[in-house]
Amino acid sequence: MNDTWGISGPTFLTWFIAAGVAIAIIAAFHRRSLFRGDRGARVDNLGPQQVAYLNGGDRLAIYASMGGLRAANALGTGPGRTLVQTGPLPGGVTPLDSAIYNAAARGVRTRDLPNDQWVASALEQLRDNLERNGLAVGAGQMREARLWVIGGLALVVVGIARILAGIDNNKPVLFMVFATIGAFVLTLTLLRSRRYATDSAMKSMRDLRYKHNYLAPSNSPSYATYGATGAAMGVALYGGAALYSMDPAFAAEAEVQRIAATGGATGSSGGSDGGSSSSCSSSSSCGGGSSCGGGGGCGG
Amino acid sequence: MADRLSPPVFPSYGVGIGWRPEIGGFVEGLPGLRFAEVVAESVHAHGELPPGLQILLDRGVTVVPHGVRLSLGGAEPVDPDRVEHFAAVAERLHAPLVSEHIAFVRAGGVEAGHLLPLPRTREAVDAVVANVRRVQGSLSVPIALEPIAALFDWPDEELTEAQFISEILEKSGALLLLDIANVYANARNRGTDPLDLLDNLPLDRVAYVHVAGGAEHQGLYHDTHTDEVPQPVLDLVTELCNRHRPPALMLERDGDYPPAATLAAELDAIAKASGYPAVT
Repeated sequence: MNDTWGISGPTFLTWFIAAGVAIAIIAAFHRRSLFRGDRGARVDNLGPQQVAYLNGGDRLAIYASMGGLRAANALGTGPGRTLVQTGPLPGGVTPLDSAIYNAAARGVRTRDLPNDQWVASALEQLRDNLERNGLAVGAGQMREARLWVIGGLALVVVGIARILAGIDNNKPVLFMVFATIGAFVLTLTLLRSRRYATDSAMKSMRDLRYKHNYLAPSNSPSYATYGATGAAMGVALYGGAALYSMDPAFAAEAEVQRIAATGGATGSSGGSDGGSSSSCSSSSSCGGGSSCGGGGGCGG
Repeated sequence: MADRLSPPVFPSYGVGIGWRPEIGGFVEGLPGLRFAEVVAESVHAHGELPPGLQILLDRGVTVVPHGVRLSLGGAEPVDPDRVEHFAAVAERLHAPLVSEHIAFVRAGGVEAGHLLPLPRTREAVDAVVANVRRVQGSLSVPIALEPIAALFDWPDEELTEAQFISEILEKSGALLLLDIANVYANARNRGTDPLDLLDNLPLDRVAYVHVAGGAEHQGLYHDTHTDEVPQPVLDLVTELCNRHRPPALMLERDGDYPPAATLAAELDAIAKASGYPAVT
């Protein structure tokens, strides 16, 4: 009886899982240091669109602007789910407001707004400003955090190779399949988890959410009373769902997605890092190792 | 039972507003506010308060629970669970008084979903007084009773509106929550003079006053709470304050909320009509 690649199944499985856990933990610590931000960073002097970006990126910043424009009766929907201008551009607007308002004149759809060059450049301006102040996670930091995806991918490749070799060698491979799926989920999580706000910005955001609790959709806030800024801030803090509570017909016509703000309306202390928290719960591999004592070789 | 000759003296709170979750942010932002009212049934007696209400309490604003579901005018005794909740909310808010309506909302186990008027008879007076006493037994603070707007009168009534209200107050020792918009609506719909009612009510027992908007619909004036306060109602506020100025008058708006500036203007109009300082 010869082991695949000269390594016994349980030994290989143990090292495979250990590698996965190590990647998850190191990636989590790496992220923590990358996303720390400026300790003294405050968000309470930010406008709604900046808060929206920190809570949900470009898309939420666009929704916040749309909420403000809608509350000011400047924006509506036309045929084919396109945006249209319904009134004059109110005073004191941001570059993003102007860009979206002008895009509406050309009948752009909500989902195409990020591709509009004026909208894109307004968003870039918004982002740069936040990054400079240590509030937003920059593209460079995000790229660095995602380097760990390579480790995850390598693990998946090795896992698949081991499974194929194991099958070839007539060994049971079921646990190895589970472990490889776990590694795949870990990789996907590392790839997809996106952070916009630094940790210090998120902490400050919780206070902001408490202060503006009256804008939470659960209060069915009267946006007529709170005006355009209130509407925009409601969307910024509570996500696309706030647009639905404010103007369901418009939100549906404009195909606004009910994305929640990352911090969550409940103000949960939200896992500061998606990578580590989900890696163990999602991959059945974590617990799987213990069941390997039964002799028969399970790691392929 | 309270002594009917000496109603409790409240400090002057001035102009207030009904706190509703929809406009909580506006209420919070009123710098001079010292008095607000909250629907008692919307508050958890023991759980956390809505942050907006907590902020008001922390600022020292007096918040009075206003019951709408006790059904004091029902023929059957008030539901002890509801009374217990009502009393617990009053404690929770450290309220110096509470209020409810002289009306019934259910009968024979059927919920009307509405405040319904009582026939103005001695029997009805006794039924209300019996229920008010049951509620007072659980409360450590005074209760103010609010007569409601009625679009119709029951046949064979024995008492005038002023007599009906006065008798209930006298026999129960309760205070009066006067809804000046109801006074206007009832008088207008019945074709009577609202000042007659003001002249015949025990105004020294008025704990506070509701001021609300309404609209005419098919010849009848409806006390909607979703429209602007009309000038005749503000004029009545002035008439009332000329006779006996109550400790607090508050705007009661329950829907179709206007822009903040309009709400602020309504509060200012009430302040002007009553002679109290503006809270905006």
